[in-house]
Amino acid sequence: MDLVAELESVLGSERVRAHPLDRRVFAKDAGVKTGPVAAIVFPETAEETASCVRIAAEAGIPVVPRGAGTGLAGGAVPVEPALLVVMTRMNRIFEVDEQGRTAWVGPGVINLELSKQLASTGLHFAPDPSSQQSCTIGGNVGTNAGGPHCLAEGTTVAHILAVELVTVDGEIVVVGAEYPDPIGLDLRAVIVGSEGTLGIVTRVLVKLTENPPAVGTLLLGFPTVDAAAATVSEIIASGLVPAALEMMDRPMVRAVENFVHAGYPTDAAAVLLAEVAGHPEGVRAEAEMIERIARSHGATSVRTAADDAERALLWKGRKSAFGAIAQSAPDYYLHDTVVPRTRLVEVLDAIYEIAARHGISLLNVFHAGDGNLHPLVSFDASRPGELDRVLAAADEMVRVSVEAGGTLSGEHGIGLEKRDLMGLVFSADDLDAQARLREAFDPTGRMNPGKVLPEGSRCFDRAAVSGGTGR
Amino acid sequence: MTALREVTRRLLERLRPDDVPEAIGDAPVVAPSTADEAAEVLRHAAEEGLTVGFVGAGTRLGLGGPLEPDLWVSSSRMARVVDHQPADLTLTVEPGVTLGEIEELLGAHRQSAILPEGRPEETIGGVVAAGASGFRRLRYGPTRDRVLEVVLATGYGEVVRAGAPLVKNVTGYDLSRLVVGSLGSLGFVARICLKLWPEPPVHATVPVTDPAAALAATYRPLAVLETREGGFVYLGGTEAQVGAQAAALGAGVRVGLAWPDRPTGPVPVELRVPARALPEAVRTVRRLLPEAPFVAEHGVGVVHLAGPADADEEFRTLRRWAERAGGVVVRLGGYDVLSASEFPPWGAPPPWAGLQRRVVAAFDPAGVLAPGKLPGGLR
Repeated sequence: MDLVAELESVLGSERVRAHPLDRRVFAKDAGVKTGPVAAIVFPETAEETASCVRIAAEAGIPVVPRGAGTGLAGGAVPVEPALLVVMTRMNRIFEVDEQGRTAWVGPGVINLELSKQLASTGLHFAPDPSSQQSCTIGGNVGTNAGGPHCLAEGTTVAHILAVELVTVDGEIVVVGAEYPDPIGLDLRAVIVGSEGTLGIVTRVLVKLTENPPAVGTLLLGFPTVDAAAATVSEIIASGLVPAALEMMDRPMVRAVENFVHAGYPTDAAAVLLAEVAGHPEGVRAEAEMIERIARSHGATSVRTAADDAERALLWKGRKSAFGAIAQSAPDYYLHDTVVPRTRLVEVLDAIYEIAARHGISLLNVFHAGDGNLHPLVSFDASRPGELDRVLAAADEMVRVSVEAGGTLSGEHGIGLEKRDLMGLVFSADDLDAQARLREAFDPTGRMNPGKVLPEGSRCFDRAAVSGGTGR
Repeated sequence: MTALREVTRRLLERLRPDDVPEAIGDAPVVAPSTADEAAEVLRHAAEEGLTVGFVGAGTRLGLGGPLEPDLWVSSSRMARVVDHQPADLTLTVEPGVTLGEIEELLGAHRQSAILPEGRPEETIGGVVAAGASGFRRLRYGPTRDRVLEVVLATGYGEVVRAGAPLVKNVTGYDLSRLVVGSLGSLGFVARICLKLWPEPPVHATVPVTDPAAALAATYRPLAVLETREGGFVYLGGTEAQVGAQAAALGAGVRVGLAWPDRPTGPVPVELRVPARALPEAVRTVRRLLPEAPFVAEHGVGVVHLAGPADADEEFRTLRRWAERAGGVVVRLGGYDVLSASEFPPWGAPPPWAGLQRRVVAAFDPAGVLAPGKLPGGLR
């Protein structure tokens, strides 16, 4: 039996696709890379997922798990003909424990949909990536996704208590537990963020967060980018951790304003969107403190959302950023580096200088509060040489961030895109340790190969070469 | 340890500790000063097949059962604060630094690493290896959520770094979180970077009669505890906020955080259940061990307690109850008065024990690190 027939015998013909058109559609995620797809399957249970993994093993092809395909780093893009296992049909919310503030959900549940379904309980799922209207919980687990509100609440790993995992052998095992501090090694912590390389997550126990009784949202305009960045550093240093602290520069503000008409100040060099949440008394005091710090750095406008509708509008501006830039150029390339919050000003200056030197169009929208930069380059890939210039500038921007004590990715993941840059932040021994971990889960190398770690990370031969276990 | 090879003797001589005992029981203690020295010890142990235990202040050695290794590796010479970035809310320390030293340093900046309260003598290395958290985890999450970076001397004798001193990071596999609670099974933790929180300007402790109801009625308290003395809600925030929250809870508010003592007694254990089962867990503890001191963490699902040496029957019953409720009972010590065979350190192994065995083998191929400590029949 051939691969497709074998898969159809388990899933039926409707949930197996291998038409050339389908294979093209699923050849890429939301990033810039494409890869070869052998077939696409849509399992609905862990058992079906395990069967797909076993069938792929018999056929000798790798398995690549995929959620909604909103990833930006190529994590769901195969590097060799692979079985693409799409988890979007596993989109049930199984049980909600309101008292314990947890829920078991399928990996295909849409991030925003989960919080909407929970509205009546007064609880929500805290990670809120900008793609939350379309990205899945399984994808969030895969990349350890972030979002504006991860500043105070932490990224996805802090909100995942357990996962059900289909291993490369097709076994189904629950990792983690409902009780706190599960005994044994915390393998849950490494499965979250492993980009589908340690197995396929088929069910997720999420921690839910109480909705805050009060929220304050401020939009602050600044005459210079440096003034906005310095405000961020001072807010963090002052003993205040806001719920969110986002920054956009003038090119980004103008693109967004043209797109959603949220009333952003288009004359400001940069704006900060700051949110404080919690007890009404605390919110009032913290909002006043942020306004005071902003004014001391020369803020030219301070707008406070009067109600939920205005708050939603201000956030729509922030969350529509990537849609808005489609107006200015057909393609964009987005970074995700993180730098210490005390180095924001100098790193931003360097990034503007790099863009100017390469003559490329740069917009900035990012999670300033945790130092997670998203310099965004808009360009037209059909123009000869333009992509090369963009990639050269991109490489410099990553290096500038790393030199300031930063790292490659804060929330998008490494995937294919940044895999070969891992050597910038890790030694050969560091990468070898990560490769050992991966090998313990997947000795065959068939689970989403070619992602996260560069080729040759596992130093099999070093011990033999050096004549001992030493370096 | 019987016949020490000459090479081992030389290593012991060179890394002899100066301020801690040179031996624990029959086993010699070595105290490396650097991660490289620790890796050298572990490489040697792997080559010679010497089993190794790790020790800091020695306060949590009972977790996972008594250990009688050939060699102890102490963190006593690695007790330096490496870096504190107050404006970036990060702190990097060596494993032998005590919680008291950390909180004193941070207190001057009105910051906290949210470490276990009332345990100033413990080392950060021990807290990380044991995966221990403080009461304020209800508000700030467990310790494991604040470990940003570790340097690890592995069981195969290399020094590796994982994570970064940054508050947000998805660059590579998160080995730093994996180390938290690993009980020394992967290697010696030689450096730790922690995420910090600003201390709220005002703290208060409010006694309550129904802690479960108080938890449901209060937005994000720092902790809600129940002991034999009653229930207590711990608050932090601005003066106006804490005042309003305390007033809503009732009378008797005290300024500051009055933490209860951790239960002490012959056999200390920890009961961990899903948070919703905590009130029933407290009732079960009261019924089975009516005299045992306890501290229960509402909203978290942990009951710390210490029972008498002759309560093996009750402990086993408590463990059966906990496992039926979707939780566990973990022993923390008292093996000299109640043996590990009468009441084992762990109950049923975790479902992921098979995967765990493979991961441990990847970091400790010789199988010499803290053997038998982890649940699940490792070797």
